[in-house]
Amino acid sequence: MALEDRDDGADELVVRARGGDGAAWARLVERYSGLLWSVARSYGLNESDAGDVVQTTWLRLVERIDGLAEPAATGRWLAVTARRESLRVARSRGRELPGALADTVRRSADGRTADGEACGPERVFLARERLGQVAAALEALPHRCRHLLRLCAVAPSHAALAAALGIPVGSVGPTRARCLDTLARRLTR
Amino acid sequence: MTEDELFAQVRAAFHALDPVPGEVLAAGRSALGLRVPGAGVAGLVRDRARRPGGGGLRGGGTALRALTFAAPGRVVEADVSGSGRYREIAGRIVPGVPALVRVRLLGTAPGELTDRADEAGQFAFPRVPEGLFSLYFQLPDGTSIVTSWIRL
Repeated sequence: MALEDRDDGADELVVRARGGDGAAWARLVERYSGLLWSVARSYGLNESDAGDVVQTTWLRLVERIDGLAEPAATGRWLAVTARRESLRVARSRGRELPGALADTVRRSADGRTADGEACGPERVFLARERLGQVAAALEALPHRCRHLLRLCAVAPSHAALAAALGIPVGSVGPTRARCLDTLARRLTR
Repeated sequence: MTEDELFAQVRAAFHALDPVPGEVLAAGRSALGLRVPGAGVAGLVRDRARRPGGGGLRGGGTALRALTFAAPGRVVEADVSGSGRYREIAGRIVPGVPALVRVRLLGTAPGELTDRADEAGQFAFPRVPEGLFSLYFQLPDGTSIVTSWIRL
């Protein structure tokens, strides 16, 4: 799918950034910060801690950028790093969220391979009123569903999404479908 | 409505509800500028809490954390004490060399502090603003090492 092509794009951006291309780095940051931020927020971190997680994740990539023998899977690496940093901060803050989202997905996964799910890239103009409806419906969802849909919506690729959730790509499907269905029903009420 | 359309709306809703702050994006963009070409990276291998007075590199005081970073052939130990806006850092590089040591800082008070390690590799920074920090070592043989970024 187109999503996978975009993930390959991340790898290319890293190679260019390593060569000193600041614009490529900026594009990588703009493409992935939404996912990293969403991961941190799904761990219940406040804005300050979430900002730390995003910044630390980028700094980790900078640290290893020269040593990257194989820049493949940069998107996945970013998501895993953000999750690990979020977990560390959440623990230091005494929160008990870690892994909750992944557990939910695991419990409801039935082993089927999910087909082309996740995250359409096209932009849709939203009337303000409609946006408010969607926001209200999302806020009424159980927080695990809300965060799952959020990560699906902002992940630039399947691989990054799976890494952000900490589960295999194929396991996301059933839970995602159920959460999306609940959201759609709330919107048509 | 197609699924893609619905996800586009979810994305737009979260963008309105909880956007990535502009300063977080700006910090990410500027991160590439913190690269030290050619420097070896010493990753964090241990982060232990210590009781006040519990035998750190410096006896007594209020040592809160004992950090250990490792790079190939080189270890950096740093005891971090104090609370509030400033920390005291006392550490050493092993094997000991009289390296130039720089504290790199991000956050409320970005900047750098510099010290020179003694022959045993020991160094100290008595007043380091809290925030993300990394140590940079310029070794006598011309090589350099940076420690992985960590929040004080």
